[in-house]
Amino acid sequence: MNLILKKDQLNHLLNSWRQDYEVYAPQALQNYTHFLPLQDGFELAFDKAHNTRIPPKALFLPTSEALLKFTKFGGYEQVPLETAPRIIFGIRPCDAHAMTMLDTVFEQERYTDPHWKARRDATLLVGLGCHEPCQTGFCTTVGSGPFNHAGLDAILTDLGEIFLVETLTEKGEQLFTQLETATEEQSKQASEVQQAAAASMPIAFETEGLKEKLDQNFDSPYWEEISRSCLGCGVCTFLCPTCFCFDIVDEAQRGERVRNWDTCMFRTYSLEASGHNPRPSRVERTRQRLSHKYTHWVDQINQIGCTGCGRCVRYCPVGLDIRAMLRKASQLPSEVAHV
Amino acid sequence: MSNEAHSPYLPIPMHVLHAYYESNDRSLKTLELSFDDPQDAREFFAAYNPGQFCLLSVIGKGESALGIASAAWEGDFVRFTIQKMGSVTTALHELKPGDPIGIRGPLGNGFPLEDWKGKNLVIIGGGCAFSTLYALTKHLHHPSNRGDYGKMTVIYGTRTSGLCMYKQDIAAWHQRDDMEVHQAIDVPEQDWLHHVGYVPDVVKEVKPSPVNSVAVVCGPPIMTKYTLPALVELGFTPETIFTSLEKRMKCGVGKCGRCNLGPKYICKDGPVFSLAELNDLPADL
Ligand SMILES: Cc1cc2nc3c(=O)[nH]c(=O)nc-3n(C[C@H](O)[C@H](O)[C@H](O)COP(=O)(O)OP(=O)(O)OC[C@H]3O[C@@H](n4cnc5c(N)ncnc54)[C@H](O)[C@@H]3O)c2cc1C
Ligand code: SF4
Ligand code: SF4
Ligand code: FES
Repeated sequence: MNLILKKDQLNHLLNSWRQDYEVYAPQALQNYTHFLPLQDGFELAFDKAHNTRIPPKALFLPTSEALLKFTKFGGYEQVPLETAPRIIFGIRPCDAHAMTMLDTVFEQERYTDPHWKARRDATLLVGLGCHEPCQTGFCTTVGSGPFNHAGLDAILTDLGEIFLVETLTEKGEQLFTQLETATEEQSKQASEVQQAAAASMPIAFETEGLKEKLDQNFDSPYWEEISRSCLGCGVCTFLCPTCFCFDIVDEAQRGERVRNWDTCMFRTYSLEASGHNPRPSRVERTRQRLSHKYTHWVDQINQIGCTGCGRCVRYCPVGLDIRAMLRKASQLPSEVAHV
Repeated sequence: MSNEAHSPYLPIPMHVLHAYYESNDRSLKTLELSFDDPQDAREFFAAYNPGQFCLLSVIGKGESALGIASAAWEGDFVRFTIQKMGSVTTALHELKPGDPIGIRGPLGNGFPLEDWKGKNLVIIGGGCAFSTLYALTKHLHHPSNRGDYGKMTVIYGTRTSGLCMYKQDIAAWHQRDDMEVHQAIDVPEQDWLHHVGYVPDVVKEVKPSPVNSVAVVCGPPIMTKYTLPALVELGFTPETIFTSLEKRMKCGVGKCGRCNLGPKYICKDGPVFSLAELNDLPADL
């Protein structure tokens, strides 16, 4: 259903949600924007940047969290799961899309991650489409778009004085029961804005045949060439909304087994007790990072595992640009003998 | 336990039943663990398939992946043989009978025993990776399973005779008329009556027949690397050769990403793969 939200009513609406939910929305903190819980007198920060630096996956898979507690008697117990209802307001479509991909990892039939699931079940996602797409994003290249609906309960389109609200799920509809229905004219205006936004985004690289090229060139000098200036800092993976790797460590003094974000860009990630390391240098590690996104996810769920959010491009300290890497990959020979 | 969703990260409470050294240099120790709660035992054995592994947990140190070295019919305990490597395995070596311990499992797929019914089995192991093959052999020896499979040939190599595990049982296997056992050590020793040489060479010497057979290989990477082509040379097709992979692991349930190999997670989709499957995966090992 399409509804109209006047911009000067937005804060009132958010405050009304706060009675029943913890409401997270982008707010400025130091030099960046972050999804933070709304407090009295909050100020939203939509204009500073499209995407928060830390992707909203952190609200479901925190950078560090206890999985278990050790009991006095040498046993283990589950930590209580977070189930307080939440709304994330202003999540961008690329980040909401990423949540649906991570669901395929954390919510499987055989093993479901109870921490992830409890938070997902308790959280509604209200998206804000990108009527002026950001410079580093390339969502349309990877099969998504600036008004993609995946993962969202509702999506807003900025039409100047008003937002057009499209409710996408029943739960999303419940959040906006106070609003007036949009006129046909307003809905039409919104879809024009949406189409114009998508059309304004250049195609960053050719995805047709890309997976096969990456698969077939596993031993190509390409990987050394694209990883030469990489520092191995891991920023591109920590800030990526579809990266989910974690380490599990015991914090003995706290009496907890804890998981922390980890990254395949670190040497110790794959180092085995025998001293053997399947990915000993940044060459193999860069290959793993790109292949995971552009071939393994495709094999697993038939979708590219990159939503084109552009964070890795924006925050790499040496300016390595995944778009340039993949443009170069699309020039690789195909049908080389598979070794 | 509460009716909250069972966390796949939560170990099953157990305690040490027996602990003994498996090798003369004390690098390998076997632990037999029993369940604190009989319900956990029932669930474990209902799910268990030889070739699977568990994560053994030491509070304050972490978890280590270890192959299951016992068959379900042996009793309400689970056996592991542990090579002392780093922090967790050292702590496991220090455990004594009666000590509490947590384990998660059984994890992974295990051997495709249903598909192997009616076939001859060639079981090839090296070093401490023989543990799950020992479990497999014990499983097959049970009268209710033995008739489902054809001839059994076991080839087991260790660097020295002192590193050979499960010595008593293996000595008894030599006496059985329903199986062939070939043991090997790397360099000659006095009084050694069996093969001397590396496992791939012993395989070439023994020449197991590929006719209506499957081969399963578990050993150190270098042994596996040379044994797989030796089997292909003998006429085994990639669909009839199986191996168990090892990669660093953390969660064991396909979440943490650590054991990723192409589109697979070794912990969840493996650790047992056919050579045909491996040939389709990247050489990221
Ligand atoms: C499926 C599987 C089955 C295995 N079966 C056996 C067995 O039956 N007997 C045996 O002795 N060993 C086995 N291993 C190897 C064993 O898991 C490692 O030797 C052990 O985890 C080393 O841990 P550590 O803490 O002593 O060493 P550290 O070097 O202190 O390791 C620190 C951490 O790294 C991880 N780690 C390091 N190397 C490995 C590795 N090769 N595999 C998995 N995790 C690793 C562990 O999570 C450990 O907590 C198996 C490994 C896998 C993956
Ligand atoms: S790989 Fe880069 S552009 Fe793609 S989703 Fe991750 S951070 Fe965003
Ligand atoms: S952010 Fe840049 S330098 Fe850091 S690991 Fe990624 S590619 Fe390498
Ligand atoms: S060990 Fe975590 S995904 Fe396999």
